[in-house]
Amino acid sequence: MTLLTPLAAAAQPYSGNASPRAGSFEVSGGAAWTRGYDAGSADALLTRPGAAGTPPLTLFNVTGTVESGPGAVARLGVYLARRVSVEATIEFSRPVLRAHLGDDFELATDTDAEETITSYLAGGSLLYHFGAGRIVPFVSGGGGYLRQLHEENAELLSGTEIHGGGGIKYWFGTGRHRFGLRADAQVSSRSQAVAFEQKRRVLPSFSVGVAYLF
Amino acid sequence: MKRLAATVAALAVTIVFAPGADAYLKLGTRVGNRVVDLRFNTFPIRYFITNRDVPGVTAPQLRQSVENAFASWGAVPNLGLSAQFVGFTGINPVSGDDANVIGFTSRPDLERVLGSTSFTVDTATGEVLESDIFLNSTFAWSVAGGGEAGRQDVESIALHEIGHLHGLGHSMLGETELSSGGRRVLGAEAVMFPVAFASGTINRALRADDIAGISDIYGSQAFRDSTGSISGRVTKNGTGVPGAHVVAFNPASGKLIASFTLTPDGAFVIAGLEPGPHILRVEPLDDADASSFLESSFTVDMDFKVAFHNKLVTVPKGGTARSVEIKVVGK
Repeated sequence: MTLLTPLAAAAQPYSGNASPRAGSFEVSGGAAWTRGYDAGSADALLTRPGAAGTPPLTLFNVTGTVESGPGAVARLGVYLARRVSVEATIEFSRPVLRAHLGDDFELATDTDAEETITSYLAGGSLLYHFGAGRIVPFVSGGGGYLRQLHEENAELLSGTEIHGGGGIKYWFGTGRHRFGLRADAQVSSRSQAVAFEQKRRVLPSFSVGVAYLF
Repeated sequence: MKRLAATVAALAVTIVFAPGADAYLKLGTRVGNRVVDLRFNTFPIRYFITNRDVPGVTAPQLRQSVENAFASWGAVPNLGLSAQFVGFTGINPVSGDDANVIGFTSRPDLERVLGSTSFTVDTATGEVLESDIFLNSTFAWSVAGGGEAGRQDVESIALHEIGHLHGLGHSMLGETELSSGGRRVLGAEAVMFPVAFASGTINRALRADDIAGISDIYGSQAFRDSTGSISGRVTKNGTGVPGAHVVAFNPASGKLIASFTLTPDGAFVIAGLEPGPHILRVEPLDDADASSFLESSFTVDMDFKVAFHNKLVTVPKGGTARSVEIKVVGK
């Protein structure tokens, strides 16, 4: 009995199933993408003379969209147990806020007016991993803080974010220190975001990148 | 496409608009080589009502409508505007008696003027020493809450004229069409639009443009800190377009606030804007006589097509958005 225990322990890394242990770190980073969304619409209205209830005159209307833009994500995680880790995330992206201007009362040519937004999402997640081999699926959930700046850093918009989802990690090696690939798919619910109409929005987001375990 | 009213709420005073650095058409007076804003410096503004009834409106009813109109301006937050009715008087609303008088006067010679505001000012400081408003009793008037067919609403016109009394010029936030030798309002989003709503209708609520304008004159530092501005130029073939009407629209709040290019190089400033993205639209000054807005010596370019700026412009809180150039093309 006393002889078998150290042998079993020594066999684990050799088998290629070296699990992260409590205290292991993982850094990862890569490209991120969050789906665009309907930013709301609005009419520029003039009051028409008339009795109460007379419909206003529409000077022009605005239809807004936020188009997904390229982004980058970086994470630093620490394992609390073999299958459980927590990680801090920072995500940066540059979506485009576009307003289509049309139906002008004086027949101005329809125009798209746009602005590029700088968006930062800082947050944290709890991850649970299934298995300890080269291919490791996981689920994750957490929350964060969203900050969005208009061009030239004008007007800061901030809000909270919660997310949930999952992904998969593929490790190239089997040692305690190893490189791998990581893909995440999440649903992100944001209390505020750049738009003409403020409401909570639920958006899918994806990221792919590399990871390093140590 | 745009018409006239038979009636125009005009400002018949020999004053000038304030210079291009200002966001709104404010009334001003020249002091040497500069123009200073007209404004009251002491509140409450004490005023008399001419003790004369006209068909459909008694002097006490006029007093009540004027009180309501002053109250509307006084309700604009953080400005400290107030007015006080002193009493009825037998004198007419004319300048030079050291009293602010509001009343009906028969002016059949002014066949398209519903009302007018005149001033006596301290030409060194721009402080208004006296201001008088007459409503032209040549027209039929009413104080009915919902308007009265064939009659002009006293409170609506008083609200407009009291805007002038506080120092505001005209806004061009409206659309008109030509009709029977005049202009008819199709829609307006400012009480300070120079063409009155058709008789039988009312226009008693201040809009965002009115509030931004009066706040520009009397606003506190707190107001300026909580709002922002957009500045820029309107150009055609690389040269400035003077007298263009520039409208800023906030899609999040639905508020429209406007100004003009007030210099030969087409420069404009729109202040009092809520922070956030705005849409800019430019149109020629063709919905009323240019003289309703600007000095007759100011050359207005109306030869261009209505256009939008192709960038969203985000107004910073307490600051000015980057300078924009809005390019237009000739008709």
